[in-house]
Amino acid sequence: MKTRKTVDVEAPAAEPDAPEPRDAMGRPLTPRKTEMRLGREAQARIGQQLRAMYEAVVNEGVPPHIADLVRKLGDQDDGVA
Amino acid sequence: MKLDPAIRDQVLGTVPSLRAFAISLCGNIDRADDLVQETLLRALAHIDSFQPGTNMPAWLFTILRNLFRSEYRKRRREVEDADGRYAETLKSHPEQTGRVEFNEFRTALSKLPSDQREALILVGASGFSYEDAAAICGCAVGTIKSRVNRARTRLADLLAIDSVDDFGPDRATRAVLAGGGRN
Repeated sequence: MKTRKTVDVEAPAAEPDAPEPRDAMGRPLTPRKTEMRLGREAQARIGQQLRAMYEAVVNEGVPPHIADLVRKLGDQDDGVA
Repeated sequence: MKLDPAIRDQVLGTVPSLRAFAISLCGNIDRADDLVQETLLRALAHIDSFQPGTNMPAWLFTILRNLFRSEYRKRRREVEDADGRYAETLKSHPEQTGRVEFNEFRTALSKLPSDQREALILVGASGFSYEDAAAICGCAVGTIKSRVNRARTRLADLLAIDSVDDFGPDRATRAVLAGGGRN
């Protein structure tokens, strides 16, 4: 069983030919660069934080002065201030 | 002719997202609100050029971005945020008190080139398609895709998110699985 590899969908599928130094948990000791392809988790995490940041502003809704402005402009005859 | 209430509601409905985008562009809440206001003035003055049934958010985002760009060119030095001013102003935002991780994220985001940040936000946060984002930015779809990819990769680098590591629960799960496979 020693030669069998568990292939994780998020991990790079193929091992390099030369064995990498690994820690006790089987993770590479040398930090991997992200130049290849970002893992799904990394992408998900970035997307999540990005949306959280954006939504903090979106959740403030429409500031009253902007709502007033739009209503006022919309009620004018030519739509111009 | 008065503004069609349906159109007015579409405009109002876009405002929250438009503000979030404006803040991400200029990194300052007051300036962002000015920019949104200016965008709405311009949009409503030219509402006849909006085709009902087409994408209202994309139309307003395009106007806002163009206004920002023309102003940006004039005041480039003032608004340059490579030194992290963007992150600083966001930190003072009352809604965004918080977690260290969050601040790290915003700081990292502020270090991206503005065209990459913009593309990432349009696609990853505003939820535009690559096609809409390309139309908003006036560039090719492929350009948007590559900007988004570069932005993600750079963010992952800055945040030291490894391609496979660094996430607690999943890493723990993987460790268990890996351990099981090896025994």
